[in-house]
Amino acid sequence: MTLTLNHYLLVSGLLFTIGFAGVMLRRNIITIFMCLELMLNAANLSLVAFSRFNVGPDGLPNFNAQVLVFFIITVAAAEVAVGLAIIVALYRARQTTHVEDINSLKF
Amino acid sequence: MQQILPAISLEVTVLILGVLMLFAEAFAKSADRSHMARYAIAVLAALIGFSFFTQSAPTELTGYWKFYSVDATALFFKRIALGTTIVVLVMALEYRHVLQKYIPGVEAGQGTGEFYSLPVFICAGLMFMASAVDFILIFVALELVTIGFYVLVAYMRRNMQSLEAGVKYLILGALSTGFLVYGITWIFGLTGETHLDAIKHALTTGFTAPSAIAEKGLGGLQGNEAALLFGIVLILIALGFKIAAAPFQLWVPDVYQGAPTPVTAFLSVGSKAAGFIVLVRVLDVFLAVPAVAGKVTALLAIMAAATLLYGNLTALTQDNLKRLFAYSSIAHAGYLLMAIVAMSVQPALAKEAVSFYLAGYLLMTLLSFLILIIVARHSRGDELHHFNGLAKRSPFLAFAMTIAIASLAGVPLTVGFIGKFLVFKAAIASGHWALICIAIVAVAAGFYYYIRVIAAMYWQQPNESAPIVIAPLSRLAILILGGAILFLGVYPKPILSQIKEPPQAPRQQ
Repeated sequence: MTLTLNHYLLVSGLLFTIGFAGVMLRRNIITIFMCLELMLNAANLSLVAFSRFNVGPDGLPNFNAQVLVFFIITVAAAEVAVGLAIIVALYRARQTTHVEDINSLKF
Repeated sequence: MQQILPAISLEVTVLILGVLMLFAEAFAKSADRSHMARYAIAVLAALIGFSFFTQSAPTELTGYWKFYSVDATALFFKRIALGTTIVVLVMALEYRHVLQKYIPGVEAGQGTGEFYSLPVFICAGLMFMASAVDFILIFVALELVTIGFYVLVAYMRRNMQSLEAGVKYLILGALSTGFLVYGITWIFGLTGETHLDAIKHALTTGFTAPSAIAEKGLGGLQGNEAALLFGIVLILIALGFKIAAAPFQLWVPDVYQGAPTPVTAFLSVGSKAAGFIVLVRVLDVFLAVPAVAGKVTALLAIMAAATLLYGNLTALTQDNLKRLFAYSSIAHAGYLLMAIVAMSVQPALAKEAVSFYLAGYLLMTLLSFLILIIVARHSRGDELHHFNGLAKRSPFLAFAMTIAIASLAGVPLTVGFIGKFLVFKAAIASGHWALICIAIVAVAAGFYYYIRVIAAMYWQQPNESAPIVIAPLSRLAILILGGAILFLGVYPKPILSQIKEPPQAPRQQ
C-alpha cells in the first residue's frame, strides 16, 4: 500500500478533532492546553503533507507551507511559554488548575 | 508629497523602541518607570508625523516584499495603530497606581516597565498586519498581537479577576489560533499558495476551469467546493473570536471586566481593528469565487444579526461600566459586520464604511475608557453608580464623557453617526433589508443603555464630593479625542479622503 495525501489528511483531521474535543470536554487547564497544541500540530502535519504532494514543475515540493510550519512551531513555543506562566501564576493564587474553580467573574 | 522612507521603517522603529524599553526596564537605575511611557509617547507621535513622508504607493513586489504591501489604506491603519498606542500609554500612566497594588514585591514605580513596552510591540504587530498580504505574515502578526495581549490581560498577578481573565483569553485565543492555522492549511492545500493575490488567482481560475491547476497533482482536491468552504469557515470562526462576533463572543465580557482597564481599551480597539483588517483582506479573496460567495455572505449576515441583537440586548441590564462597554463593543462589531456583509455587492462602499467606522470607534472608545480610568481611580470602582453626579464633581469630564457616549450611540454631529450612516448606506445599497431592520432595533436599544450613563452623570447626586484631579497629559488626550469626535462628525472629509481607494489601483501580482 502506498501512502497518499488522503492518509495524511485523515490522521491530521483525527488529531484536530481529538484536540478540539479535549478543549471542550476536559476540565484541567493543563490538559486543555495540551489539546490546543495538538490542534496546531494537526495543522503542521497536513501542511507538510500538502507541501510534499504539491510538486511544482521543477520537481521540488512547495516550500511555502514548510516555512509556515516553522513559524507555527515558533509561535506555539511562545504561546506555551506565556500560557504556562499564566497558569502557574493562577495556581499560586488559587492552588487549582480546574476550570470549575475559576469563577470569580460572573457569567 | 516627497517620499523619502520605505514604509517598513515605521515598524522597524517601533520594534526598536520596544526592545529599548525592555532594556530600560531591566537596567535603568531609577525606580520610577513612568518616564519610559512618556518617551515612548513622544517617539510614537513623531512616527505619526513621519508616516506622511513615507512611500505610500504600491511598488513592485519581489522577494521578501511579496509579504508586505503599502497603499493609502495600509498607511491609514498604521496611523490608527500608532494613535491608539499613544492613548493606551496615556491610560497606562493614569492607571499605574492601581496596577502597582497587584504586582508582588515592588517599590513604587517599579515593575511597570513591561506594561508600557508590551503595547509598543502590539502596535508593531498591528502595523505589520495593516500591510500583510500573505497568510504567513498575517498569522505571525496576528500572533504577535495576541500573545502580547495574553501577558497584558493577566498582568496584575495578585488580582484574581485579572488572572482569570488572562486564562480565559489564553484558552480561547489559542483555540482561535488553532482554527486559523487549520483553515490556512486547507486553503493552501487547495491552491498551493499562501499569498493572497496568488490564492485569488488560483481560486478564480481553478474553480471555473479545474484543469488549470490539475498539474499540481493534488488529486481530487482542486475545484472541491466543500473543502474550500471548510477552510473558509475555519478562518471565519478564528476571526470571529478576534472581532468578538456572536456566537464566539462569550469570552468578551469576562475578559474585558477582569483585564486592567487600559488593556481593555486596547483590546476593544486593537484586537477588533486587527480582526477586521484581516477579515476584509481575506474576504476580498474568497468573495471573488462565485461558487462560495453567496454562502459566505449568508453566513456573515447571520453572524452580523446575532451579534447586533446579542450585544445590544444584553447590554441593557449591565451595571458594571467595563462590562457595559464590553457588550457595546460586541454591538459595534455587529455594525461593522453589517458593512462586511455588503462587501460582495458593494466592495468599495463597504470597505470605506469599515475603515471609517473603525477610526470613529477608536476615538470614542478610547475617550470613554480614558475617562472611566480617571473616574474609577477617584471613586474607587467602575460600577455605574460611581459615575453618579459626575457633572458636579468635574463638569469637564462629564461633558467629554457625554460626547463619547453620544458618539457611541450614534447621535448626529458626532463621528459615530457618520460611521453608522456609512454602514447603513452600504447595507441599503446591497439590499440586505432584514439585516437593516434588526440593526434599527439594535440602535434603538443602544440609545437606552447609553442614556443611562448620561442620566447617572447629570441627574443623580454625587456619592462623594472630592474634586477630581486630571493629569495634564490626560487632559490633553481628552481634549484631542473629544475635539476629533466632534470635528470629524461635522467634517469627515480628512478621513474619507485617506481611505478612498484610488480608482486605478491594480495591485501587482
